Amino acid sequence: MKLTINGEAREIAGDRLTVMDVLKEQKVESPDMVAVQVNGAFVARPQYDDLVLAENDTVEFLYFMGGGAA
Amino acid sequence: MSGFATKALHGGGAGTPEAGGASTPLRTPVHDTVAFSFAGAAEIADAFAGRRPLHSYSRISNPTVAELEGRVRDLTGSTGVVALASGMAAIANLILTLGGNGSNIVASRFLFGNTVSLLTHTLAPWGLESRFVDMTRPAEVAAAIDAGTRAIFLESITNPQLEVADLAAISAVAKERGVPLILDNTAPTFYLCRGRELGVDVEIISSTKYISGGGTAVGGLIIDHGLFDWSRSPRLASQAAKFGPFALLATLRREINRNLGACLAPHAAYLHTLGLETLNLRIERSCATALELAGVLQERPEVQAVNYPGLPQHPGHELAKRQFGGRYGGILTFDLADQARCFACIDRLRLIKRATNINDNKSLALHPATTIFNEFSPRAQAEMGVRPTMIRLSVGLEDAADLQDDLSQALAGL
Repeated sequence: MKLTINGEAREIAGDRLTVMDVLKEQKVESPDMVAVQVNGAFVARPQYDDLVLAENDTVEFLYFMGGGAA
Repeated sequence: MSGFATKALHGGGAGTPEAGGASTPLRTPVHDTVAFSFAGAAEIADAFAGRRPLHSYSRISNPTVAELEGRVRDLTGSTGVVALASGMAAIANLILTLGGNGSNIVASRFLFGNTVSLLTHTLAPWGLESRFVDMTRPAEVAAAIDAGTRAIFLESITNPQLEVADLAAISAVAKERGVPLILDNTAPTFYLCRGRELGVDVEIISSTKYISGGGTAVGGLIIDHGLFDWSRSPRLASQAAKFGPFALLATLRREINRNLGACLAPHAAYLHTLGLETLNLRIERSCATALELAGVLQERPEVQAVNYPGLPQHPGHELAKRQFGGRYGGILTFDLADQARCFACIDRLRLIKRATNINDNKSLALHPATTIFNEFSPRAQAEMGVRPTMIRLSVGLEDAADLQDDLSQALAGL
């Protein structure tokens, strides 16, 4: 499946991929700490396992972990 | 994995073997460290910029704390959870995230004494107004909301008045007016009171209480159920454009909690995760015993009145039965003729401890008017439903007969 992930074209094996599948495939650390947009629309956390992506979808990840300190 | 007990034991990714690992500890190790070492300069720069979710400093995040947050997220079906140093830290951090100078919070007239103090003594000088209303009257709640209202705040079972409000009705008001509904769900927890299903937007819990598993460590939780559109909250609108449904969690993690520094200690998080694993069993036990003791106390000639939502004469009994699944919490109050008799009763207790916590494994007794409400005048106490004749009893896990014996000997002849 062809997807654009964080601005880069990617080819990921599989034809029925969910948002969580892509998070895992991309080795996204701490999926609890990432906001996901598909084609510009935010995805609610409970939908990560259910929302199936389509060919040529655009997926954006943005972490909201706290950053650094001290 | 759908049952509460199963999720409490296995949720949040606990016990998942690491990639390539042949075995894994059944409990997440306690990461008792302040800082985390990085492989290189690029990695630490990525962590500071938020490009990668790497732990860097335990005021901001810690794997043991994240384990607790993930377990609670699975149990509540929420969007995310932030664990803090105490229940009061959770309330303060959340209100400071939503409100500000010139705005207001519509809050229950019956709140935990320290919460009232936070609103009226600590935050009022910074320009945040608190409007106290009767939460059993949804029309009164609606009338108090205006363009400056940033949240509705109430407790699921108020402490120590034990008032129960119709959460679905208050949620309907909140949704109609576009204001987030915050519920302090400490007394029944998400085991008895399913905030998300009742339309609660954000749940606060003092995990010090039932969740800690026996008064082991102080802590608090902010649980975002993902129901509120944070672009409608003026303080969070810009973050909503960037983080969508995670705007509240992002602002808490990247700004408010980080800057205020009320982080949960890793060892406390470990104890709270252990406590979660038996939460349902302990709540069932204390609720059953509390109901039994309430019935016994109301037969005593020394007792003027007993207040417990499980008693049929309680004004919120039918609502509580529906809202909390036929369990009514582990706290009850009873009134004696005067304060002197209350003190005498408390002093005579042999098994029940004289202490100011609730939902410990051990039963605890307290005189609220002279302790958690002692900074308020008698008139203010009366308005908050706190009487000098009232004793609060937090029912623990002891055998009911032993508690009954202790109360009987303490009350005899008063």
